[in-house]
This record gives sequence, structure tokens and C-alpha cells, in this order.
Amino acid sequence: MSRRLRVDWPSCRARGLCHELLPELVDLDEWGYPVVAGEVTDALLADARAAVRACPRLALRLTDR
Amino acid sequence: MSALASPVPVPQEVAVHEGPALLAGLTDGPSLAAHRGRYGALPEVGLAALRELIRASGLRGRGGAAFPFVRKLDTAAGSTASRAPGRRGGREAVVVVNLSEGEPGSAKDSALALTRPHLVLDGAVATACALRAREVHVVVAGDRPAVRESVVRALDERDDAVPIRQHATEPRFVGGQARAVVELLAGRPNLPVTSWAPEAVAGLAGRPTLLSNAETWAHVGLLVLRGGAAYRHHGTDREPGTTLLTLTRPGFVPHVHEVGYGTRLRDLLPPGVHGHPALVGGFHGSWATWPTLRAARVSVPGMSALGAPLGAGVLLAPGGSCPLTLTSRVVDYLAGQSAGRCGPCHNGLPALASVVRELVHGDADGGVSGAAGRAGRLAALVTGRGACAHPDGTARLVRSVLAVFPDEVAEHAAGRCAVEPVGSAAEDAGEVAS
Repeated sequence: MSRRLRVDWPSCRARGLCHELLPELVDLDEWGYPVVAGEVTDALLADARAAVRACPRLALRLTDR
Repeated sequence: MSALASPVPVPQEVAVHEGPALLAGLTDGPSLAAHRGRYGALPEVGLAALRELIRASGLRGRGGAAFPFVRKLDTAAGSTASRAPGRRGGREAVVVVNLSEGEPGSAKDSALALTRPHLVLDGAVATACALRAREVHVVVAGDRPAVRESVVRALDERDDAVPIRQHATEPRFVGGQARAVVELLAGRPNLPVTSWAPEAVAGLAGRPTLLSNAETWAHVGLLVLRGGAAYRHHGTDREPGTTLLTLTRPGFVPHVHEVGYGTRLRDLLPPGVHGHPALVGGFHGSWATWPTLRAARVSVPGMSALGAPLGAGVLLAPGGSCPLTLTSRVVDYLAGQSAGRCGPCHNGLPALASVVRELVHGDADGGVSGAAGRAGRLAALVTGRGACAHPDGTARLVRSVLAVFPDEVAEHAAGRCAVEPVGSAAEDAGEVAS
């Protein structure tokens, strides 16, 4: 099963907490919006969940596809 | 940014040509009486029989993605059968006819609504009955009033077992996007939102929603009325059936043709555009040079292999006008059509439009290679980062113009352009007729 982070783009307001908590997977573009790379490995799962919980816009989800 | 006008206006008139299947017998007119006279009463078809008709035909969705329609039907039927745990109330399917051509270069769905509305409605009604759906919705483009009038007139003539409601989108390029249409039906703003599951699994009010383009429904209608053998009579063995194409030339009324798959593309193009490139697939499409167009046959996999997917069947042929200038105007327009809700699209498309303008005007910082590189990076950056495919489609167009016209891009960088600016010749001559 491959887990991925998905962004709810209309909800995202470039607050950047996801990048702070998960720089391994989340970069920011020149406007501050997340650029999500790659799958969420088991090693990063806890940090990914923290990023999902921390998003003040509730714009991040962990999905199985 | 303020929305710029489309370089090709939303058509208010369409030239519709007689075709072999959907567009056969146009002189009968669009009335229900003429339709029933030609095809007879709409037979009741069970879900299994309908599924087999559609599976055997190989019908693909005609909204642009060419997704096998039988898989969408199966998903909706399966989602209807499975009741979500802990959920009260039914999971009745909803059927939606998407007639909202947001693409200004497309007129094929308009053509169907104007000439063959009952074929479209029969396809949707037969499927709704097979799925035991309780409602059918028809969504027309708010900025095509003649289409809306024709649909309203057609609905007035009918007396179906399932209620059919009509809606109109906001006049916006992305208003016809599937999720934006579901939002409209739900009474919310007609804008794309993030889709966490396919519409056929959970669409309107979380119910399985079988939403398809009007042409797809017309083919379903004809399959039910005429059977699978008639469908396979056209096209090729590998790709049976017919498809609608819109030939759009700046300054002219769009022409809609129905052809069997396998038809030579050049036979559809008027002599005036022979020798020139065309934009295949509309504003979200790809450029094809004349040698490509001359050799191409109308085919979903065939055109994809040539790097110019048919999409929803738009052929935008500017003739001898400058393809770079037209592309820049299209990208400017598309940037203005962003719903503005998704950050990468809201910020990225105006930036992309600005770089393309620099390339066309030959005043790019860092020269042509620098600007082309920047355009490529921005195109990659916006792709896949939105609630809908608007940024992806816009990026595709920009990548295509860079890949297909490297020499023209270099000419522009040197302050030259071999051809006239698009549209000016036709507009100056006052050409509007077909």
C-alpha cells in the first residue's frame, strides 16, 4: 500500500507548517505553496500525520492512492 | 488579474454538417415527433443489457479524457448496490448530462443540443432507468443561450418516467469541469473543488453520480435505439463508431462534423488551412504541424501517439496566422479563467502567461533559452497542483508550443515573425460568415 500526502488546493493558504514539520517530503514553491514529493514511507508516517493534524486550514490528507 | 476575452469567442452560431450516425437526417429538425418518427419509442433496457451494449461498442467518454464509459457505468452501478456503512437513506444514482462546453473553441455539444437534443436525452433517460436513478440533470452553458433554449424546448416536449432538471453554468472556462458541475447542482458556487473520490462513487450529495458529456449520452442513446451493430458499422475494427469534431477558425462560425474513426484528418480541413499548423484538442490541447495533420487519421490512440490527443475533438486552425501569438493570447485568457482558489494556479498561470508574452514579443530577460526554460519550469510546477486540470491543460499548451515551434520562438527572440498576427487579417476583412 502506498501512502501519499494530498493537498486540498482550494483550502490551502500557504501557511507552510507542512514544510516545517515534514521538509523531507514537502518543499514550498516561490509563492509558499507546498510541493509534495514522493510516497510517505513508514519512517516518515508519524511526521506526515503530525503535518496533517497541524495544518491550520485542514488542507492536507494522507491517502492510500 | 482581470479576465481577458477569449481569442476565439464563445460561438452563438454553429454550422452543423450531416453525419453518418448522430447527425443523420438533420433536415428532420430537432423535434420529439421527428426523433420518434426516425427512431421509434425509447425501449426499456435492463442494466445488464445496457452494460453489454456499451461494453461491446468500446464507447469512450467524449468530454476529452476518453475514459471507457463501461467502467464509469460499472462504478456507478456498483456504488449504488453497496450501501455505505452507517449511512441512512438510499444510494440512488444520479445521472448528469454535461452540456456545458466551457471551451470556446468547441461547439459539438452545442450542435447536438441544437439538432439532436432527444438523442442526448434518450441516452441519459435509458441509463437512469437501468440504474433506477431518481433524477437526471442537464447542465448547459450559461453563455450559450440558443443551446439552453433548445434544451428547454426539448424537455417541454418529453414525458419521461424520471424527472429531468435543467441548470446553467457560470460563463467560465472551468464551469463545466465535472466537480464544478456537481457543486452547481448542490447549490454551491460553480467552481472546482477537490475530489476525494470519483463522481461515480460519491458525487452529488455523496451519491453515485454518472456524469458524462452530451456526446457520450448521444452515443448511448443511439446504441439503445439502433443497437450495437449499427454503431460498429462505422469506424474501424479496432476503433468502431463515429466522433464529433469542431473545426474552429478565428473569424469564422465553427463547423461541426461527424466522422467515423479512421477518417483522414486532412479531408476535414478546408483548403484555406492546408499547409498550416493547427491546435488539436482546443485551448488545453497541443499543436500539430501540417505534416502531422496531413498524415493523421481521426483516432483516440492514433492522435495521442502523434503527440496531439483529440481531447474533446476541437481543431483550432488559425491558417497562416502566427501560432505563437495565438498561444500567448490563449494563455492570457486561460490565466484569467482560473477560479483563483488554488494557489499554484492563481499565481502560476499569470506568471506563465507573462513568460509566454515575453517569448512572443522577443523581450525576454536572459534571452530566448532563459525564457523557454522558465516557461518549462513553471509549466511543470503548476501541473497536478489544483482541484481541476485547468493548470495541467494550460501547461500542456505551453509545453507544446515550445516543443513544436522552436524555430518560430527563435525568430520572435530576434524580433521577427514570419506570419501576420492571428485574427487581424480575418477581422480586418470583416469575415464572420462561414
